[in-house]
Amino acid sequence: MIVMKTNAKILTKKDVSKAAWRYIFFAQSVQNFERMMGQAFCFVLIPALDKLYKNKPEEHKKALERHMQFFNTEPQLGAIIPGITLAMEEARATGEDISEELIVSTKNALMGPFAGIGDSMLIGTYSPILLSIAMSMCINDGNPMGPIFFCVVWLTSMVGLQYYLFHKGYNAGIGAADTFFKNKELTNKITTGLNVMGLIVIGGVASTTVKAKTIFEFVSGDMSIVLQTKVFDAIMPALIPLVITLLTWYAMDKKGWSANKIILAILAFSGVMVVFGIM
Amino acid sequence: MSLIQALLIGVFAYLGSKRTPWFFGVTGGWNMIGRPLVAGLIVGIILGDVTTGVIAGAMVQALFIGQITPGGAMPADVNWAAYIGIPLAIAAGGSGEQAVALAVPLSMLGLGIFNFIMTINAYFPHRSDKYAEQGNSKGIIKMTYAAAVPSFVLRFGSAAVICYLGAPVTEVLLNNMPAMLLHFFEVAGKMLPAIGFAMLLKQSLTQTWMIAFFLMGWVLIGSTTMSVTALAIFATAIALMFVMAKGNAPAATNTIVQGDDDCYED
Repeated sequence: MIVMKTNAKILTKKDVSKAAWRYIFFAQSVQNFERMMGQAFCFVLIPALDKLYKNKPEEHKKALERHMQFFNTEPQLGAIIPGITLAMEEARATGEDISEELIVSTKNALMGPFAGIGDSMLIGTYSPILLSIAMSMCINDGNPMGPIFFCVVWLTSMVGLQYYLFHKGYNAGIGAADTFFKNKELTNKITTGLNVMGLIVIGGVASTTVKAKTIFEFVSGDMSIVLQTKVFDAIMPALIPLVITLLTWYAMDKKGWSANKIILAILAFSGVMVVFGIM
Repeated sequence: MSLIQALLIGVFAYLGSKRTPWFFGVTGGWNMIGRPLVAGLIVGIILGDVTTGVIAGAMVQALFIGQITPGGAMPADVNWAAYIGIPLAIAAGGSGEQAVALAVPLSMLGLGIFNFIMTINAYFPHRSDKYAEQGNSKGIIKMTYAAAVPSFVLRFGSAAVICYLGAPVTEVLLNNMPAMLLHFFEVAGKMLPAIGFAMLLKQSLTQTWMIAFFLMGWVLIGSTTMSVTALAIFATAIALMFVMAKGNAPAATNTIVQGDDDCYED
């Protein structure tokens, strides 16, 4: 474990905050298939690098070059990585024994795990939970508070998180990643907890969003039975949509159907049902 | 739809696209303004029908609720679905179901734009490489700003033009459609969101039995008068109980961590 001497500081807190804001605004701004977030990463560090390597033009060039390389992670949770990198660059600039390879390999080693956790935790769970709650507020009556609720909660929590993580990464330096991975148990607990909560909430919202009902009636002499109210609703409200949702999930997850194939299947099913007057 | 309205929708389509830095980067852009739920409100305000806009936004959102884009591999282009599908449906006097029906093909066509920008944007790092060799920070900064140009032209341009030219066409189509076909779109539009939830389930279910949690939420909202906010609080309690109960079991920890540590040691 590298112990970084903290006595030599070139960057002020303002410099670090500036880099954090540059990251929050520009992280994905040049995204492309070849480097993904690579150029943006360099852009984020530039003012700090200019300051750190002011009198060392050769070092400055090399620093620019090494941060132009490929970089890709989940941008929000990944905010900790440029923070860590900044601390390492500062340590290198003040003469500590930190090699170029170490800086590059640290970036490369961190981007995968943070992409995985960030995608599943933030984009795959936290955002759908917020969206679900917001959708339930507005899907029936068009209440604008639904989207506004989503915007306020999402924006404040995510911008706050990124700002915090960036500074955390800078302050702890290379140790930050260590703390993160040593706390794997806590990370697992948070992920699992969010996952369970998400499944319940999303189940609730799905029940009000997916809709399907039959208009079929049994007519026999004078007697007619409305299938929807007398049979399906009597068993359980929203029964048909539940069966459709579960079948869709089964086909996608267990049978490996692509989304396009399922779209076609649903369109075909709806078509048949409409033509025969069942739905 | 007036020209001004179409242009405004185009501007927001750009602000909600992946590479826009203007409003807290990807957090406020792609992950917020770009969400169909938020697009519904914005388009509703621009077109003067907030209620229909918000409902259509929520319904289109359901379709894409399970979409994660690891490594920029996009299964469908949400931006076109949100900023072309919703406005066309509203302008033609349609509702949520029509927006969903339009969103499906548009999201597939829009992928072309997405992949095109992802490809041509590689130009900017190549120019920047040269500046890096010269130690020219300003050049790299300039190239980063310049990368906003193709995104703006393509996102703003495509949404504004298709909305402006497409609105009268959609209106004629919707108004002259046979009743049965209209009914078909309504039925299919209400059923299609199942795909969004199925996608989400596929990603979230670490073990198949966990589908029980999903069913629990479904039944609680579907069969009782519980609100979703109340359900969220209830779900938090269940999640805590689950994590606590699981946490007390002796766990095998840190096996992977030890291996990773080597990377940082020197």
